[in-house]
Amino acid sequence: MKKIVSLLVLGCLLLILNGCGQDQYLIEKDYWQVRKQAESIFRNPPGSPPNELERVINQLNKFIQKYPKNILALQAEFNIAGLYIVKQEYDKARQHLNSMISKYNQPEIRSESVFLIGNSYQLQDRWEQALEQYKKIIAEYPLTIRGLDIPVYIAQYYKSKFQPDKMMNAFQEAIAHYSSLAEKYPGSPLAFKSYTLISSCYGAMKNWEEAVKALNTLVEKFKGKVDTDVVLMDIALIYKRELKDTAKAKEALEKLIKEYPKSRLVKTARTLLERP
Amino acid sequence: MDSQNKKPFSLKNIYRFTFHSLNSQPKLLIPFLIFAAVEAVFLFFIYVAPRLPFRTVLGPPIRAFWGEGFLHYPANFILLPKLASMSRTFLSVILGSLTTGMAVSMAFEIYNKKAIRLPDILKSTFRRYGPLFIVLLLITAFFYGLAKLAFVSLTKYFMAGHTALLYLKPRIWLGPVLFGINLLIVIFVQAVFIYAIPLLIIAKEKLFKAIIKSFVLFIKLFIPTIILITLPVLFYIPILVLQYNTSYLINNVFPESVLILAFVSIIISSLVVDFLITVSTTFLYLKNKENV
Repeated sequence: MKKIVSLLVLGCLLLILNGCGQDQYLIEKDYWQVRKQAESIFRNPPGSPPNELERVINQLNKFIQKYPKNILALQAEFNIAGLYIVKQEYDKARQHLNSMISKYNQPEIRSESVFLIGNSYQLQDRWEQALEQYKKIIAEYPLTIRGLDIPVYIAQYYKSKFQPDKMMNAFQEAIAHYSSLAEKYPGSPLAFKSYTLISSCYGAMKNWEEAVKALNTLVEKFKGKVDTDVVLMDIALIYKRELKDTAKAKEALEKLIKEYPKSRLVKTARTLLERP
Repeated sequence: MDSQNKKPFSLKNIYRFTFHSLNSQPKLLIPFLIFAAVEAVFLFFIYVAPRLPFRTVLGPPIRAFWGEGFLHYPANFILLPKLASMSRTFLSVILGSLTTGMAVSMAFEIYNKKAIRLPDILKSTFRRYGPLFIVLLLITAFFYGLAKLAFVSLTKYFMAGHTALLYLKPRIWLGPVLFGINLLIVIFVQAVFIYAIPLLIIAKEKLFKAIIKSFVLFIKLFIPTIILITLPVLFYIPILVLQYNTSYLINNVFPESVLILAFVSIIISSLVVDFLITVSTTFLYLKNKENV
């Protein structure tokens, strides 16, 4: 009996000790403590003492060195860049982001780093340099999430600065970029996303005919491959609200009900059909 | 029965007798200590659930019901009070039925100035485990049913487009007011069934009869019963208020404070609230029985 109890106790101890090694939970705890200190600077950048930034960045660097392969080390890297940016130490931020570009091979990380470099220029009102970085993302990392978003981001910038001509040009460039991606990767999720972005760009330009055309192309190209009930609803709504073409809206809604009878949008489609 | 016992009882005397009993027979606390210890073990497993090797077993249900996020620091502390409350409910029915029965039995022995023999008490209570289990299950079911009804009614009312009820906004109703309603439900549901356990253990009544008689006694002793249940529950309100603000504790104190609070909650709920409610209402039942 004593032997069994001893074995059980030993087994439990081994199990517990096994959990004390590189436990992700403990790493998260370590990170949270450092992150908490960083947050106090993020919350009030001008109010934090001058040596506070240095101290927190040292702690973040220590964390990165301790757990270099952990996903949280990457978050710590971006936190360092973020801290330099909010403290308006833009050169140091760019220096750190450039070191990240050399350190990490993944396109998503690199595109995000380049984007933050662009952001740092933008915060200094140096749009030309920022634009250079954003165009670098389009050229070098077109398949990343940031790479897909950035053409619209540029256009939105011009919109916020009340530069309609530049905004229209940026949207045109974005449409051309997305069209080339859709042609280059036909039938892929990227092509699907590209068509929706083309439609959004035309929508932002109030060119509703072209917006619908892009969505119709999407429906046609992805028929039988992906559910396009949401796209059909978008088409119907554009016809109804923007183009005031109730016949075409009705056609799209009927197509939705016929082709996707189990869709959660059927109820909404029927309600819209009943309305005058 | 002496003439003094036949005098109308006062709540002050009931409490005096309760504390005197605990002082003279500390064994009275044993059932509550057992419950608190088991509850603490459950809390330990909830706390270590996101860590290896416990994560292997406890991780999948948490991931399935609440999401992967709650297996990471410090989000696991947001879920901890909910899981602790669920484990307490489960234990109340499974183990609480037995320990409460034991406590009632011990209080009865003390009242009759007899010696407490734990093995005998355990054996006799265990024989009545089935009905005790059903009583605790009914209390839990009624509480959850009524609490759910209150929540659903309020939610539906505001979802229907109403912006206020009795001049109060949805945020107030679904926050502090619902909290108060839930407390009232706890008190009333417990009060209705509170004498069923002494009736099962002391009067050896059948389950159905015990429940009916408990309700009748509750009506008869309405005010003292409500007071004997409400007063100890008041001790628990600060804990409940803090547990409602888990995110605040995590962000402004430190995440582990939620765990400390959960341990304090076990001590207060099992060793103070449950003890006072069970023992004092048992003495009230016995005094009333004598007077009748």
